Amino acid sequence: MITAGVDVGSTTSKAVVLDGDRQILGTSLLPTGANVVRAAERAFREALAAAKRDEEEAGYVIGTGYGRYKISFGDDQVTEIGCHARGAHFLFPDTRTIVDIGGQDTKAIRINDRGEVLDFCMNDKCAAGTGRFLDACANVLGMTLEEIGPASLRSEKSLRITNVCTVFVESEIISQLARGEKVEDILRGVHQAIAGRTAGLVRRVGTNPAVTFTGGVSRNGGMVKSLEEKLAVPVNVSPLSQWMGALGAALIALERVEGGAVRRVPVAGGAA
Amino acid sequence: MAVTAQAVPTDLGKTLQRDMLATYYGALETANEDGVPVAYLFIPGNIVELTRTFGFLPVYPEINALQCGIKKVAGENIVRAEDLGYSSDVCGYVKNDIGLMLKDRQSPFGRIPKPDLLVCNYSGCNTFIKWFEGLAHFYGAEMFLLDIPYIRGRGATESDVAYVVAQLEELIDVCERRTGVTFSEAKLRETLEYSRQAEDLWVEILNLARERPSPFDSYFEAVFYMAPINILRGTPETVEYYRQVLREMKSRVGEGHGPVPEEKFRVVIEGPPPWPHFRAFWELFKRWGVVAVASTYSKVGGLYDQGLRHDPSRPLESIAEYAMNSYTNWNLPMRADLLRRYVETYDADALVIHSVKSCRSFSVGQADFREEFVNELGIPTLMVESDLADPRYFQEAQLRNRIDAFFESLQQRRLTGAVA
Amino acid sequence: MTALPGTVEELRSLVEDVTFPRVREWKESGGKVVGSFPVYAPMELVHAAGMLPVHLFGAGGGVEIEGADSRIQSFVCSIARSTLELGLRGNLQPFDGFVFTNICDVARNLSGVWTRNFRDRMVEYLHLPQNVGSGAAVDFMVRELRRLLASLEQVSGRTVSEDDLRRSVAVFEENRRLARELSRIRAESPWLIPAHEAYLLLRAGGLMPKEEHTTLLRKALADVASRPSRPMDRVRILLVGSFCEQPPIALLRAVEDAGCYVVDDDLALGLRFIERPVVADGDPLRSLAAAFVGGAANSSVCHTVRPKTEWLLERAKALRVDGVLFCTAKFCEPALYDYVPYKEVLDRAGVPSLHVEFEEKMNAFDQAKTQVETFVESVLFEEA
Repeated sequence: MITAGVDVGSTTSKAVVLDGDRQILGTSLLPTGANVVRAAERAFREALAAAKRDEEEAGYVIGTGYGRYKISFGDDQVTEIGCHARGAHFLFPDTRTIVDIGGQDTKAIRINDRGEVLDFCMNDKCAAGTGRFLDACANVLGMTLEEIGPASLRSEKSLRITNVCTVFVESEIISQLARGEKVEDILRGVHQAIAGRTAGLVRRVGTNPAVTFTGGVSRNGGMVKSLEEKLAVPVNVSPLSQWMGALGAALIALERVEGGAVRRVPVAGGAA
Repeated sequence: MAVTAQAVPTDLGKTLQRDMLATYYGALETANEDGVPVAYLFIPGNIVELTRTFGFLPVYPEINALQCGIKKVAGENIVRAEDLGYSSDVCGYVKNDIGLMLKDRQSPFGRIPKPDLLVCNYSGCNTFIKWFEGLAHFYGAEMFLLDIPYIRGRGATESDVAYVVAQLEELIDVCERRTGVTFSEAKLRETLEYSRQAEDLWVEILNLARERPSPFDSYFEAVFYMAPINILRGTPETVEYYRQVLREMKSRVGEGHGPVPEEKFRVVIEGPPPWPHFRAFWELFKRWGVVAVASTYSKVGGLYDQGLRHDPSRPLESIAEYAMNSYTNWNLPMRADLLRRYVETYDADALVIHSVKSCRSFSVGQADFREEFVNELGIPTLMVESDLADPRYFQEAQLRNRIDAFFESLQQRRLTGAVA
Repeated sequence: MTALPGTVEELRSLVEDVTFPRVREWKESGGKVVGSFPVYAPMELVHAAGMLPVHLFGAGGGVEIEGADSRIQSFVCSIARSTLELGLRGNLQPFDGFVFTNICDVARNLSGVWTRNFRDRMVEYLHLPQNVGSGAAVDFMVRELRRLLASLEQVSGRTVSEDDLRRSVAVFEENRRLARELSRIRAESPWLIPAHEAYLLLRAGGLMPKEEHTTLLRKALADVASRPSRPMDRVRILLVGSFCEQPPIALLRAVEDAGCYVVDDDLALGLRFIERPVVADGDPLRSLAAAFVGGAANSSVCHTVRPKTEWLLERAKALRVDGVLFCTAKFCEPALYDYVPYKEVLDRAGVPSLHVEFEEKMNAFDQAKTQVETFVESVLFEEA
């Protein structure tokens, strides 16, 4: 018996397939694109294929992310706040605070020792302090997202980026370049700016150790360092950070099965 | 439909209110031509009993704004005001009113008359002063600033009340001059008596939310049923209205009816509603079986549930006290304390704060309430953001996400009996 | 004792220093300090209680806002957030008390947030009369001043006599008299002292003992009178809208460099809010209250019986300005509301105007400078 979690975000869709012993059998990651329903189905099927298992074996499927209500083949929906909490707690059982910097929003979540959400705070109104902000900065500098983290770590000089607006930071970066400032110093400033805003958000739920950093942006080593500096505590990071939501969803699905729940969506003639 | 002695038609309150408002707006439509004097007032701390004494018809620009929001025309009014030069960062209520003015005051519910007198009862909101200063400029109308001190300690002081009473006496002179009608204390006392009776009945209705389940949503329904006590106070019709609504709500208790099929979560709600998206917002809560058992926006017109009453035996003093005790005229520590008492009294599971961009008076400091409630009082608190008048600031997907995450976590912890 | 700042750069350093070195100095020598949030607060009372009155103007661009948003929303003026940030970071540790007044809903609510977050300090919120036309306004203000005085006495640990008050009122009045003199010189001969220098001279008065500031002003006035500067071909501008959150010095310089003489403004208005001379005979609190009610400076945060648009037009004519520059802080409701009727009246009277929005922490001024240059050109073109 397997369970699955499908996380349909605004940029990417991810899925995780788990077995009854909580082992990850397969994962998937693809761009969401314009068709949310299709993206969800593809993510699910690709994860199953990676796990070399069939849909019939799925005991329960939970959908999460902004597109969770479009997952017709799911048995239930849980918010990504709930799923990130469970996923992070599973990977790092000492987690009590989760910081998730995604493509479009940033979340800080406080959890208990069972991985249950106690409090959360989100910045979902403004791109400043999100992955979008980093995208814009990378673009202006003609670099990729993979390059900007390591580049920022080479900086030896502290430089303040004051613009919090994604639109205006581009011109600020250009003026800094014109002034002869180095790319790595500018990037460090950008990372510090995001870390600063994020730290503000985290403080609203309390910086209770251990802190786990999830979401796509946590793969950025420069961001990890800046966040640790601003929060003044070490942060856990996992290579599975992008699948945190899907993993949490799959874990919750497993708990449901263990509690006696059954899959409500008929298997035969299911999602095409 | 057969009406038994026990049963009450379930839409009685709504029907009555619709008729009362139709009469009210009808009178407004012809007021200027008929030479009926028109006074513009604000809701918090309004002195309508006094202006009624002189035969003024009251117009409440805030109500116009909220109605325009509900009828989905606030957006275009706001844009019209912005074209005139008003910033995108100022209050949507004010801009709606300016936009309405630029449309010759044609509203979805009739034509609003021009003001003969602008009585700026500056209670709980500084922006009111700027609002009426603007209208005084555009209409060339006389403005009387009724300066109502903010509560600085734990309550209104004698000095505060004396200052307001002295201004009310000055206002009486102005009203006499404007209307040619001599002030009648007897008429004022009679009007105050009607107010007092309506206030008693309204508080009885609010108290019904203590029942489990509550028959009445003390936010989403309260902001509807509170209209007459805010706009038509001081009339016998309003007293009768609340008698009927009380009967209707009591019969809901008898029949076990409530605003949702099954009450799962009881909450206290702080902040104005997002008028242009009222129904959609309510749905986000309804689907979790959430019922509001107390709210603060329903108290902008007066904290009657805290014992405040108009009093015919102390006419100007009780009007002055009333003027000072509107919710937004209470300082933040008092507001936080009230929210905490509401959670206790009405046995609520959580506090929900709806923070609106336009209204600094409500919103600045709500994040501090959240801090206090979550970290010091251990009361689960959800904070969501949009606007009260501008339809552009409502992001349904994000709101749904936050609301779902919050009640999901409450539900989960209820199942496992988890403590923070 | 530290030497008085002599140069513009020294003044600027003092004004922009968010560690408040003069305040810390005062504390170290055993004194107490009470700070006020804009616009106007009757700081004579703080002085009479033997404490140092300080006028807070936020942090400029001096701190990153990280904690303040956990207490107040982010769609408000920067000065509210940065002042709170200074408090949360400990920069305001030397202050024994704070005074807020009823200028707007943000400031009002900030005082409430302040009481919960700084429980060990005196926090007073004054309701200054807005119905200045009421016969009861002065009495009310006198009682309000007495209330503040009682709090200040508690903080300072000493009783304040009427003589103490009279002396302090006289000190502040002398200081204001010199400030008025400086304003007069600016209006008549703006080439003698640039606006940004006059502004720094005035604003420094909120950060040092009043007596020292008076000495500074006297020196400055003597120096200014003897300057050999000649008039240049610049347009005369009235700057309106910066009575609370203050624009960066660089913005003021950009405006001047674009070809303007800013002959008058409402920058740091609280420091010269009482325009009528205050003579403290009889009850000094009553004299102060009467001066406020009857003779306060015009601003967007105080209601007046006479429409403000009349004041604006009159002032513009009296100063013989070529134009009005509305320089308003982002999110500042009072300034943004007044802007619309003000502009309408100026348009009707054929007085050119320009609206530039700023934030205290902005650091790019090219756009603003270009706008002002264009404005100057069009004014000069009209006059030609």
